[in-house]
Amino acid sequence: MIDGRIDRRGLLVAGAGIALAGCGVGDSGGGSKEEVEKPIAKKVDGDLVYFNWAEYIDPAVIKSFEKRYGVKVRETYFDSMSAMMSKLRSGIEYDLIFPTAEYVQRLIQGNQVRKIDRDKLKNADLVYPTFQAPWYDDGSEHTTPYTMYATGLGYRVDNVPDMTGSWRDLGEADTGGKAFMLDDFQEGIGMANQVNGHELNAADDEALEQAKDYLISVKPNLRGFSSDTITTMTSGNANIQHLWNGDIVNIRNQVDNPEDFKFQKCKEGIPVGSDTLAIPVNAKHPGTALLFIEHLLEPENAARNVAWIGYPMPYEGGATESFEGLVKDDPSINVTVDDLENGEQFENLGRENRRAWDRTWTEVKAS
Amino acid sequence: MSQGRFAAGFLVPGGLWLVLLFAIPLGIVLAISFGTTDDLGNTIYGWYPENYEQVFDPVFLPVLARSVGFALATVVLCLLIGYPVAYYIAIFGGRWKHVLVAMVVLPFFVNYLVRTYAWIAMLGDEGVVNGVIGGDIKFINTPWAVIGGLVYGYLVFMILPVYAALDRMDPALIEAGKDLYGGPWETFRNVTWPHTVQGVLAGTVLVFLPAVGDFVAAQLLGGPDSYMVGNLIQQQFFAAENWPFGAALTTVMMAFLFVWMVLYLRSAAREVAAE
Repeated sequence: MIDGRIDRRGLLVAGAGIALAGCGVGDSGGGSKEEVEKPIAKKVDGDLVYFNWAEYIDPAVIKSFEKRYGVKVRETYFDSMSAMMSKLRSGIEYDLIFPTAEYVQRLIQGNQVRKIDRDKLKNADLVYPTFQAPWYDDGSEHTTPYTMYATGLGYRVDNVPDMTGSWRDLGEADTGGKAFMLDDFQEGIGMANQVNGHELNAADDEALEQAKDYLISVKPNLRGFSSDTITTMTSGNANIQHLWNGDIVNIRNQVDNPEDFKFQKCKEGIPVGSDTLAIPVNAKHPGTALLFIEHLLEPENAARNVAWIGYPMPYEGGATESFEGLVKDDPSINVTVDDLENGEQFENLGRENRRAWDRTWTEVKAS
Repeated sequence: MSQGRFAAGFLVPGGLWLVLLFAIPLGIVLAISFGTTDDLGNTIYGWYPENYEQVFDPVFLPVLARSVGFALATVVLCLLIGYPVAYYIAIFGGRWKHVLVAMVVLPFFVNYLVRTYAWIAMLGDEGVVNGVIGGDIKFINTPWAVIGGLVYGYLVFMILPVYAALDRMDPALIEAGKDLYGGPWETFRNVTWPHTVQGVLAGTVLVFLPAVGDFVAAQLLGGPDSYMVGNLIQQQFFAAENWPFGAALTTVMMAFLFVWMVLYLRSAAREVAAE
């Protein structure tokens, strides 16, 4: 077997460089160790070029940053992590990105993000202890956590009154044929692992065989697989929907009878995921980016973002209080520090395990 | 400058376009399909033909069969709906012909994804249709909804070629058929149909090819048993981070579609030669 990366420059000669970069293949777009380590001076060094999911920050928080420091925030958006990665690989310079935890690990390994000196960041000590040294970023040296999400079951208490607190409700409760599983192989198999008493990230043959059998046994009770959970629930098409806790906040904001929309954290386990803030190694304005991170950590701004996005953030103070306010009539939607301690986080599976998970998922879906 | 060279000059923009945006990307897909990935999912080029062995794994057979089945059903429905529409416009449209064609085409300027979302709003349990008929029918998240979405999505590709064929046909031929004591059905079978069969074939190919690789309809309108090959390919790129396998699936898919395309083109060429 021939193994090896194609020299990027060689392909440029062939005229394929641009197309290739656009496809997200080629080198990682990473820098050297020195570039990663170089300390960032916390001062305005230009306008902020910002790259995020759409609708994932309160526009007022951006406005107040622009006013405070007399800079512009030039916003661009990605719609998936792979889209973000290919833009980075193609060499576009962003000052601030919002990767999910799993992608942080890759970015660090590829020398693609700068180190952030936490001592320089005001309010960094507000970050929950679990996120001071998260699994994806040893010692939280490269990233600051942004939002977090717990997976559970959203349900209509008026139509499905007999929930039992278990993942099994998805396959066993009488929903009138209106149950949806997330269209997400990680969440699907993670849930099955928890039901079967395995670790969330288990990938051994026995666990996956059981996961497959379990998920296939759930299918007859399902109406479909969907990650568009806000649509399925607000349209009345779902009585139970496997979803992330922030979505139920948004759903409740959009319906006339929010008290009927509940969230269940399941007793077999709570999968927890998180998004982060990071500064790419080729950022032109890392100083402004650092100021922006600090701006987001400020309790008042964090509180506004939480209220606007509907997802909790792992910061003490404003963010926590803000989310508690959002979910005061159904505290089960909240992700507490205890939940995080007991929760299980999705990790990078590595190539072989990821393929094994994907195969299991395909077998479930094709069956 | 000779006329030949002048004419050849006209080929340059189109040729460049094809090379840059078709041939090179296709080459990259091929190259990736023989590659592998590192532990974090980045593509590494190399020689790993096992990606292709994997494509023929029996696990995927039901998915392939379902995709072809859905696409064939789509073609049949598009023909049943599209032919009469095209017929009406071409034969009875009169001076409204162009307006009617424009009305058929207009909705297709709206993005397919947006139109599919509109279907969810229309056909949801608490959607417009159930509201009007006062029913509680589960239209969406069924295989029928997927086929319906595909038919709606690609119908215009059937109507237009059939319309063009009918429009080219001399209406006097139908009268001639009737003068020769042909009933409506016999006239249609012996006169109209043979004149439009190439249009129908073109429509069949134009509907079948995109429908068989579609993933939007199954993802948004499908139920638990609507997984299509397009969804499988999308899963490889966006979730499984196995671009090489996704590219291998894509390549096999293209080869399969290419066979149909060639068969169609040969039949069209024969027709032209016969005329």
